[in-house]
Amino acid sequence: MDLKKVLMVMLVSVFAVFLFAYQGQAATERGFDDKEIRVGQWGPQTGPAAPWGSVARGSKLVFDIVNEEGGIAGRKIKYFIRDDQYNPSQTVAGVRELVERHGIFAFVGGVGTAPCQSVMGYLLENKIIWISPCSGASAFYKPFNPYLWNMWPTYENDASIIAKFAIEKKKFKKIAMFYQNDDYGLNALDSVKYRLSKNKMELVAAIPVEPTERDLSSQVQKLKASGAEAVIGFVSPTQAAIALRTAASVGFKTQWMHSYNLSDYALMNKITDGLWAKEGVITGAFTQEPYADNAPTKKYIEAMKRLAPTERWGIFYMAGVVVAEPLVYALKKVGKNLSTEAVKNELNKITDFQGVGPKVTWRADYHMSGKELQIWQCDPKGEIIVLQQWTKNEISRD
Amino acid sequence: MDMKRAYYEDVELFKSGTILFWTISLMVGLLTIPLLASNYHLYLLNLIMVHIILAVGLNILVGSTGQISLGHAGFFAIGAYATVLLMTKLGLPFFPAIIIAAFISAFFGFILGLPALRLEGPYLTIATLAFGLAIMHIIGHTELFGGRSGLSAPPLDVGIPKLGWSLVLKSDISKYYLILFFTIVMVWGAINILKTKVGRAFVAIRDSDIAAEVIGINLTIYKTLSFAVSAFYAGIAGGLFAFVLGFFDPVTFNMLLSIYFLVMIVVGGLGSVMGSITGAAFITYLMYALFKNVREVPYVGDFLVTISQRWLSITGMDNLSAIALGLVMIGIMLFEPMGIFGAWIRIKKYWKTWPF
Repeated sequence: MDLKKVLMVMLVSVFAVFLFAYQGQAATERGFDDKEIRVGQWGPQTGPAAPWGSVARGSKLVFDIVNEEGGIAGRKIKYFIRDDQYNPSQTVAGVRELVERHGIFAFVGGVGTAPCQSVMGYLLENKIIWISPCSGASAFYKPFNPYLWNMWPTYENDASIIAKFAIEKKKFKKIAMFYQNDDYGLNALDSVKYRLSKNKMELVAAIPVEPTERDLSSQVQKLKASGAEAVIGFVSPTQAAIALRTAASVGFKTQWMHSYNLSDYALMNKITDGLWAKEGVITGAFTQEPYADNAPTKKYIEAMKRLAPTERWGIFYMAGVVVAEPLVYALKKVGKNLSTEAVKNELNKITDFQGVGPKVTWRADYHMSGKELQIWQCDPKGEIIVLQQWTKNEISRD
Repeated sequence: MDMKRAYYEDVELFKSGTILFWTISLMVGLLTIPLLASNYHLYLLNLIMVHIILAVGLNILVGSTGQISLGHAGFFAIGAYATVLLMTKLGLPFFPAIIIAAFISAFFGFILGLPALRLEGPYLTIATLAFGLAIMHIIGHTELFGGRSGLSAPPLDVGIPKLGWSLVLKSDISKYYLILFFTIVMVWGAINILKTKVGRAFVAIRDSDIAAEVIGINLTIYKTLSFAVSAFYAGIAGGLFAFVLGFFDPVTFNMLLSIYFLVMIVVGGLGSVMGSITGAAFITYLMYALFKNVREVPYVGDFLVTISQRWLSITGMDNLSAIALGLVMIGIMLFEPMGIFGAWIRIKKYWKTWPF
């Protein structure tokens, strides 16, 4: 045998030995000590999805307030943010770095279905507490994950409550659906159809749109031809804006009703040049109204002006606050004798907990988000009108 | 330097005892690294090796054959999706699945090579770009491929589960050895391809395709072959990437990724295998690790964050990593147009005569 062959054989055999020898090794970090509790989050701070990055910074506000008040049982919260540019391979790198080099006790939030799914298995394996990915996708509660608690309402509940409002309060007879052709839109479509069938009604039109489409004139023409009094939309902010402009230009007058993902009216008015307010668009909503007249909201706004003056108190920023609240609540309950199990037990006991977000109730075998949402409308000045307070989806199938 | 007196010396794998010694040292090093590295570093190393396989393949196309591709994320995606789908839907074992996936990718490379016969320069760039984008959308549209919600990779079983001989690689270390094996084989393959008739034909086409045709090189065959070989590499890389990441959706394979692949080989050094390796390792490190934890650096971190929030933007710190990547790229192109490999050759030349 010549040298090359010998070398190959050697290599292959060494590989085989190593493959067998190093199966499985797990390093678990506690993620806290007497002085600090380490909490992390990832989010797109740069790149095309950067507007959603404010979620991660919103959570920081909650932890900063806790630290200002002296921490929890003598421990401060050390909060880490990693920019993943909405790219799953970056999310995995960031999360691993945090867990293995810094030791993370819990994660909160996390934007995007794909980035969140790419680290779900890893976090579960390492038994790290994770309170709510910012996504309503079913992968996060089916199958049940003992270390993942959901706060983000499912699209099923969102769509059903919007449809219920359209049928029962607005008495619309002709309802059309304008949906994104993926899980987000299809879940909602199914839910609206189910709600309508309970009322012996049918959609007058169901128009799909691809997430990347930018010319929506044919879809809007079809919606117009259907004569819909209301159009329920489950699309991205950009597409909702384009559809609204196109409808205005072809003279299609209808009541637009969108998902809670589009409940940031300041943003929507900006990208529609005020059409959003003019048309009085209705949306679902899963947070309290941003300037609600209650103590927690006022406290957060006051703190934000002081601690993060360059931020905007919008829905995404609030979403960061929403996902951080239950963790702080549970940590305070546990107090001195901190451990993952103890916090897990407290989270599993949470009943009708409500901060500035939706009401949640969790049990040891039930980590679903709440089934209650609000209905808002944008008034001509761009302000929020609460058309309907927290309403439960009584026919939820989740 | 490196004077050759016989043809055999040129095609030799190890040109001297020194190279053989260092190669073996490198192998021993690569085999022992996992004993010292954390899982996070292993993830980075795995990613780097996947990118090396892809960059080596891309360099055969761009550096050696002189064709361009901005669609390699597409081949990468085909490799990842085909491997996972062959395993989950058809129940194939891992090794046949990844090889078949690479051949599927190579087939698409061959198809994309056909327009390359007529197109050149910017026109070819656009055609390959369109291919990359189209693949992303076709996958997104197709329910079988998991649509826009993405796919989860099955457990990485390198045995033959149907015969009851199953060996599931769970840890990052075992994945590291598997990927290292593929990387060595693929790199070794690339070095060899470039020394064969085929490789020399590629280089001839790069230097002047008309002259190449005159001396009897069939452009149709070799140009499409170059695309196919390059896509085959991307397919293997994609198949491994699927398991490194564990979950992916079409947007993972976006256009930006194709551009980063191109950056890897340009920064590393066009037309050289070593250049592809260093470029892929360097750029991957910059992308995934450099300045990502700048906030936690003692004293300096807080200071930089304050400056950024006061004078620049709230997210200013996160741009730092991207800015550094850009500056390094510009720097290398300005001062070392041959890439990192060019710098290496210069250093080697300098030390050869040292201290004279």
